[in-house]
Amino acid sequence: MTAAIATAVPNARLSAPGIVRSEWIKLRSVRSTVWSYAIIVAVSLGIALLIAATSTFGGDIPAESQTSIVLQASTFGIYFGQLVVGVLGVLVISGEYSTGMIRSTLTAVPKRIPALLAKALVLFVTTFVVGLVSVLGSFLVAAPILAGQGIEADLSDGSLYGNMALAALYLALVAVFSLGLGTVLRSSAGGIAAALGTILLLPTILQLIAGLTQAKWAADLMPYLLSNAGTGMYTESFDGSGLEQWQNVLVVLVWVGVSVVLGAVLLKRRDA
Amino acid sequence: MIQAEGLLKRYGSKTAVNDISFTVKPGMVTGFLGPNGAGKSTTMRMIVGLDRPSAGSVTVNGKPYAEHAAPLREVGALLDAKAIHTGRSAYNHLLAMGATHGIGKARVNEVIGLTGLESVAGKRVGGFSLGMGQRLGIAAALLGDPATLILDEPVNGLDPEGVMWVRQLARHLAGEGRTIFLSSHLMSEMALTADHLIVLGRGRIIADAPVAEILASSTRTAVKLRSPRADQLAALLQGADVTITTTEPGALTITGLTAPVIGDAAAQAGIPLHELTPVGASLEEAYMDLTQDDVEYHAGSTATITEEAAR
Repeated sequence: MTAAIATAVPNARLSAPGIVRSEWIKLRSVRSTVWSYAIIVAVSLGIALLIAATSTFGGDIPAESQTSIVLQASTFGIYFGQLVVGVLGVLVISGEYSTGMIRSTLTAVPKRIPALLAKALVLFVTTFVVGLVSVLGSFLVAAPILAGQGIEADLSDGSLYGNMALAALYLALVAVFSLGLGTVLRSSAGGIAAALGTILLLPTILQLIAGLTQAKWAADLMPYLLSNAGTGMYTESFDGSGLEQWQNVLVVLVWVGVSVVLGAVLLKRRDA
Repeated sequence: MIQAEGLLKRYGSKTAVNDISFTVKPGMVTGFLGPNGAGKSTTMRMIVGLDRPSAGSVTVNGKPYAEHAAPLREVGALLDAKAIHTGRSAYNHLLAMGATHGIGKARVNEVIGLTGLESVAGKRVGGFSLGMGQRLGIAAALLGDPATLILDEPVNGLDPEGVMWVRQLARHLAGEGRTIFLSSHLMSEMALTADHLIVLGRGRIIADAPVAEILASSTRTAVKLRSPRADQLAALLQGADVTITTTEPGALTITGLTAPVIGDAAAQAGIPLHELTPVGASLEEAYMDLTQDDVEYHAGSTATITEEAAR
C-alpha cells in the first residue's frame, strides 16, 4: 500500500464562506433542485402566455390599471411557484434526514446553526434569482401580447419593477419558510404536508369558516396568512385587507422568522 | 487522543451508555468491542457531538469536538455508511464535505484514489453497494487528513480484499502517530488489527487493556463435554470458580475444572460421557468470557440447569 495520506491539508479550517460553498454544492448537485427551478420558470412563462393571449379587454382602461394588468400576468407564475419551492425548501433538509446525510453535515459543522443558516442563505439567493428570471421572462412574454390589445405597462413607473422584485422576494422567503418547517419536522412527507397546508389549505379553511359561520375573527385573520400577505407584497390592488405593502412584507418575514428560529433551536438541541 | 469522563446516555428509561470513562491513545489502534446494542455507536456519536451526553463529557485532543477550529482535521469519522445523500454523486458528496473546511478538488480526488472509488466517483450514491458506501464513508473520514480516526464497524459489507485494506490502513495510520478508534462486534477482526481493546457490555466497560493482556487473563482452558445426563453432571460440578454453559441440549462447556477432574467425577457418579475435550481459549473465547455476564441468556441457562438438577 502506498502512503495513505499524501497531500496534507494544513490550512484547512471551518469557515462561513466554506460552509456556504458546501451548501451551494449540495443544492446544485441533486436533481430535485434543478427540476424544481426548471418547472417554476417553464410554468410561469406558460401561464403568462396563456393569460396574455386569452384575456380580452374592452373599453377605456386607465393607465394605472394597464400597468397592474401587465404586472399580474407577469407574476401569476409565483402563485404556482410557491408550491414548488414549498416542497423544495422542505426537501433541502428533510432529504438529509431521510438519507442520514445530516450526520455527515453536522460532523463537518458541529455547531450546527451555521449549517442551517448557510442552507437558508443559499436557498434564498438561488430562489430569488430564479424568481426574478421567471417574473422578468413572464413580463417579456406577456407585455408584447398585451400591448397588441392596447394594454401597456408604464415602463417609467418604478413600482412596476419594485413589485416584480418583491414577487421574487416572496418566492425566496417561502422557500426559507419551508426549510424551517423541514428542520422542525425532519420528514419529507410531514414537512411537505405542513408547508403546502400553510400555503394552500389554511386560506381555504379560514375562508370556509368565515363564510359558514360569519365569524369575524376568521375574516380578520385572513390577511395575516402567509400566502395572502405574500400576494399582498407584490399586488397592491389585490385585497381590501388594509395592510400596506410593507406590512405584508413584515407579516411574511414573521412567518419565516418563526419557522427558521424554531428549526434552529430544535436542530441545536436534538440528537442527530 | 480521545478522553471520556463519566459518559452517560439515556434514551427515555433505557441507559445506552452507563457512566464510562476511558482514554484512546495516539500511535496505536484501539479496538472498541462489544455485542450489538452494547452502546458502541452511541459512544462514538457522542465523541463527535451528534448525540448529547446525559452526563459526563468527552474531549478530542483536549477539547470538545465542536470547539475545534477545523473539526475535520481533528477527527475523521465513519459512523454510518449510509450517512450520505443517495441522490448525489460520490465526488460531489466529498466536494461538499470538504468545502466546509476549504478542502478542494485535489484532496477530494486523492481520497477517491486512496479508497479505490475512481470508477464510480461520478455515479449517484443511491446505486452503491454496501461495500462501496463503506469505502466512500472512509474517504470522507480521510478528507481532513485527521489526527484521530473513528471508524464504526468499518469492515461491514467489505469483500476480503477490502477488509485487508482497512486493516492495513488502520495500522499504517496508527504507525504515523494518529489515534485510531475502531469498533466491531467481531473479536477475530480485532485480534488482527488492534493493539488495545476497550470492551463494552450493556453500556459499561468490562475490559480496558492491551490485546495481549486480555488474552493472557483468560488462558484458563475450557472443557467441552457431551453426556446424555448433562444436567445431572452440571449440578454435580457446580462450584465457586466453575462456569458452566450449555450450548445445546446434552452439551456443556466448563471452565475452572480440568478434563481429568471432570472425567473422574462423572465416572464416580456413573454418568456416561460421549465427549470430553479440553480447548485452549482463543481471543474469541476470551471475549465471550468477558461479555458473558452482560448477556442475559447466560445467567438464565445456568439457573435452569441448576433448577432441573435439583428436582
